[in-house]
Amino acid sequence: MNKKRKFIFSIVRGLTAIFIALLVAALLIFISAEGPGFADKLSQTGNAMSKLLIGPIFKSNGSFSVKNFTDVLAAMIPIIFTGMATCVMFSANQFNLGAEGGIMLGAFVTAVVAIYVPLPPVALPIVAIILGALSVALVMLIPAALKAKLGVSEMVNSLMLNYVIMYFIKYMLSSHLADTSKGAIMTYDFQAHSALPQLINNGSKLSWGFVAAIIFVVIITLFMYRTRWGYAIRMIGINKDFAMYSGMKVAGVIIMSQVLGGFLAGMGGGIEMLGRYTNFTWTELPGYGWTGITVAILAGNNPAFVPLAAFFMSYLNKGCSLMSTYCGVPSQLIDILQAVIFVFFAADQFLSGYRQKLVIKSTQEELKLQSEREAQQKADAEVN
Amino acid sequence: MAEEYAIQMKGITKVYPNGIAANQDVDLLVKKGEIHALMGENGAGKSTLVKMLFGMEQPTSGEIWVNGKKLNLSSPTVAIANGIGMVHQHFMLVPSLTVAENIVLGMVPRKSGLFIDKKKAVEITEEYSKKFNLPVDPNAKVMDIPVGMKQKVEILKALVRGAKILILDEPTAVLTTQETSELFKELMHLKKQGYTIIFISHKLNEIMQITDRMTILRGGRSMGVYNTCDVSPEKISRLMVGRDVVLTVQKDKAQPGEEVLRVRDLEFVNEWGKKMLDKVSFSVRRGEILGVAGVESNGQKELVDMLFNLNTPNAGTATVNGENILGLSQRQIREKGISLVPEDRMLYGIAGKASIQENLISDRCGEKRLNKGPLFNMKAIREESDRLIEEYTVLCKSQDQRVDNLSGGNIQKVVVAREFSNTPSLIIADQPTRGIDVGAEEFIRKKLVELSRSGVAVLLVSADLNEVMELSDSLIVMYGGKITAYFEDTSQLNDEIMGEYMLGLKHQPEEEVRRVCHE
Amino acid sequence: MFDLIFSTDFFFAVLRITAPILFATLGAVVGEKAGVSNIGLEGTMMISALFGSLVSYWTGSWMMGVLVAVGLGILTSLAMGFFAFILKTDIILTGIAVNMIGSGGTLFLVKVITNMTEGKALASTTSLITTANQIPSWNIPVIKDIPVLGDILSGHCVLTYVAFLMVFLTWVLLYKTPMGLNIRSVGENPDAASSVGVSVLKVKYIAIGFSGAMAGLGGAFMSMYYSMGWSLDMVAGRGFIALAAQAMGAGEPVGGMISALIFGFAQALSIKVSSKGIDSNLVTPIPYLVTILGLVAFALVVRRRIKKQHSAEALKAEEK
Repeated sequence: MNKKRKFIFSIVRGLTAIFIALLVAALLIFISAEGPGFADKLSQTGNAMSKLLIGPIFKSNGSFSVKNFTDVLAAMIPIIFTGMATCVMFSANQFNLGAEGGIMLGAFVTAVVAIYVPLPPVALPIVAIILGALSVALVMLIPAALKAKLGVSEMVNSLMLNYVIMYFIKYMLSSHLADTSKGAIMTYDFQAHSALPQLINNGSKLSWGFVAAIIFVVIITLFMYRTRWGYAIRMIGINKDFAMYSGMKVAGVIIMSQVLGGFLAGMGGGIEMLGRYTNFTWTELPGYGWTGITVAILAGNNPAFVPLAAFFMSYLNKGCSLMSTYCGVPSQLIDILQAVIFVFFAADQFLSGYRQKLVIKSTQEELKLQSEREAQQKADAEVN
Repeated sequence: MAEEYAIQMKGITKVYPNGIAANQDVDLLVKKGEIHALMGENGAGKSTLVKMLFGMEQPTSGEIWVNGKKLNLSSPTVAIANGIGMVHQHFMLVPSLTVAENIVLGMVPRKSGLFIDKKKAVEITEEYSKKFNLPVDPNAKVMDIPVGMKQKVEILKALVRGAKILILDEPTAVLTTQETSELFKELMHLKKQGYTIIFISHKLNEIMQITDRMTILRGGRSMGVYNTCDVSPEKISRLMVGRDVVLTVQKDKAQPGEEVLRVRDLEFVNEWGKKMLDKVSFSVRRGEILGVAGVESNGQKELVDMLFNLNTPNAGTATVNGENILGLSQRQIREKGISLVPEDRMLYGIAGKASIQENLISDRCGEKRLNKGPLFNMKAIREESDRLIEEYTVLCKSQDQRVDNLSGGNIQKVVVAREFSNTPSLIIADQPTRGIDVGAEEFIRKKLVELSRSGVAVLLVSADLNEVMELSDSLIVMYGGKITAYFEDTSQLNDEIMGEYMLGLKHQPEEEVRRVCHE
Repeated sequence: MFDLIFSTDFFFAVLRITAPILFATLGAVVGEKAGVSNIGLEGTMMISALFGSLVSYWTGSWMMGVLVAVGLGILTSLAMGFFAFILKTDIILTGIAVNMIGSGGTLFLVKVITNMTEGKALASTTSLITTANQIPSWNIPVIKDIPVLGDILSGHCVLTYVAFLMVFLTWVLLYKTPMGLNIRSVGENPDAASSVGVSVLKVKYIAIGFSGAMAGLGGAFMSMYYSMGWSLDMVAGRGFIALAAQAMGAGEPVGGMISALIFGFAQALSIKVSSKGIDSNLVTPIPYLVTILGLVAFALVVRRRIKKQHSAEALKAEEK
């Protein structure tokens, strides 16, 4: 199949997946809509869907909403990082699902540094974020090394670690770090100079973290496709036995992929903390890790497409929260939407009939061309 | 009027999702009660054709008639219900179950309606085993029985299910000469009882010996149907490959230099406690090809696995140029100048979803010349790939094409291009031309000889008797995990002598075998 | 201290805590035997737990609740199967999707549903499950009068007994029935199974359906007995722990049960310890840590066995 047909196919396929998800969403909203008649329900559903689909960018009067748009961009920051983390780990065929706990731990360590470590401006946020990232990288050594050396499932271990991390942070927060002068469980405020500067001061919290995220997308894309280490990660993901036989250090690369994944997730947590908050309040896993997995799947495990996928997820998320505010549809609809898009995107055989048609068309064309060429050659030979 | 044909496949075309057209407008007409050969090179489309007949694949277009009835063979279940049975090239058996359990799988006899009736299963097995003269041990676990018996289990499986039409996909590929003639007797016996047999092979002598008629495939198209008694082997060969096959690879006499690979007293016990290697000792010298002949699963695979650290021996030593290689990582082994053309190229040889380029650089991606600082030097990598593709005549659109879209022969050329081009001092070639087309086979054989004459030591492991006798300068035979014979000069050998050693009928005294150590 | 912890009610608690993990473990065991890794057990338990509790409340019948929980568990896993087997989504990703729905998705559903039926959106169903519609307990005649043993074994929720009975039934299913033979052959060599007309697809659907039913029972146990109502993320990783228990139990029903008991023990211990005044955040993660340690210990044992096989002793054993 030629490139153009492949491209058309992937676009049609993606759009169909999204369409099905939206249909599911509309159905759920319709069922849950209050109102006596069919028409009422329909108009409510219409309202909610329009909030979901165009709310994130347009105001209700139809004009472009800068605030909503920057909200969407700002919300991309953590999921770009968890998305990249997942891309790297999944590329090595490591189903490490620890980005969820990772981003929480990274945020926590960064927060602690931002509160307590006396460092000058500029140095403080950078050191805090790096320490946050490193701490997660260190923790990811556990599932990584156990997988590489003992063959223990990194998936189960990383899931268990998510819980351990969450309870550890809750314990630290409630027993040691809580600012008792405040009503809720939260830490003392970060030192003021730890905050990441904002790109736009409109309350969206679109910080320089966004720029950092894009820079890291470039770096990680180069790493994955233009260095021997990224190459090794991908080859191990495709065929581990081949990689081992070729002389690659499989165990080392498996560990590297998960440690790097942890580093990225942790960095996402740190940047999110210093870009958005003034103290640490998370007592539950934030969910960015799971969204990151969706992002990685939408991006086909290619870091270059992560921003696009993150934008899409962030857009939908914003749409869902607008819908919840204005139409009373619970915002957790996003989880169902996400799951539906996710499974269809990852479905190899989704629309395979259509693909097969395209393939057959291409092959027939090639065969025809070939026989024409052969006939031509024959004719040429006869002339000679 | 009784229907003359058991099978009529008409105008069959099959296009796979990856765009490969495996069959184009093929007809296959099989008469009742005949043994019909389906011939062709690897990749000619034989397997695809019979898979459609057995319902494992569906034709893109075309019709299939069985016993005069047009059928839609949507799954093997439908095929079985219509009296078609198939013995696959790779046995379709569940290793941890017993012979009887394998035979009744899918039609398990029950007691009290709910539970497996194991006694009945054994009875069924014994009944059919006796009736068709196919002796098996019903209570043995399949993983413990020899290849020949596994094949009998496969045939019994089809017969128990009431098959009247048997498809055998390259049944002799894994058998010894003796087992083959036993199989032929059994097949003739079945034919006499009115069974129809479709026999897939690319071994000419077998076809001439046992079949009535044949259909020849080439490049996915049918080259016609012939009565076996009417065609000469030469004609079949021409129809199959479209040219006369040059069988002899020209090679000068070897000038063996110093010892490169030295293996002493290697022993290995597998996970079921069976000794697979028994005090194996030999040496390979610079500039010579040492062949390892033998029927499969007599320790050859294990030997190669030990040398490339894909498994750990229980005892013994192996050195290359005086340095130990046992227990080293594959990287360290490669750094000692050892290359391996693996037996299973899809498992070890390539990363299927990666590009040709990515498959060509897997062993050298860390080399300075292919890197610029932390980044790849893409220009150098592209040049290296193009060079290898050209030198090894890999047929492809570009180096960015996915390697698993290539034909078997071209995939093997990619493997060989990588393994031969990294200046090895020892090449271990394990079944280097298995299952690939004649063109690629000849190319790879020539390359092997060329490399050996330039001073590389070559250990050639091959179950293909022709190949191992033609290419090797000297040769050892493995039987039951032991080296049972050493022939210093292969030019004096013939099939008959080899056969006797390979089947374990003969073995040389230990001193004679020991000469392969060159001490 | 020791006496305080290891009392009869402690061991009673071990069995009670083990039951839902055991259900999920048996689901994982049968799935894996057919070559299907069901990592959606966690989400399936959540979905079943929610609807089990709702139906039990609506109908006032715990049996209906359990039935619906099991039915939904089967439906959910069959849907997973459809995506994994037909549309060829990676089974692990399918499981992750189910877990997403099981997490935030169930909260969406409970809010929407209670908004329609109760007139206000509830974020949990803990107010709906009472002693009237919970799964009842059962005092075993005779055994309940035996000292110590009676206190430990008698008086459990009926589903607890079902869980341990299922260990035996699962073993019978796998090793004594034609379907078990099919399941094992499909897991070991699917091509062999399909070549003799065993429908691999059907067997895989049955296996994943079975694991869904088990998750359904586990979910019902959680919301209609253990926690008395559904709340967000209440299954708290039990579905994942079950995957570990499956692996540690070498994929066998009895082995899985022993592993599940170890986790039950660990969690009972952590509850007991936290009741002694230690910060619960410090002891709640103990079962998760035990899971990691258990997997490591199991892997080390397997490794030692492999090492032994390559040793000189193995060679000698062969020569004898």
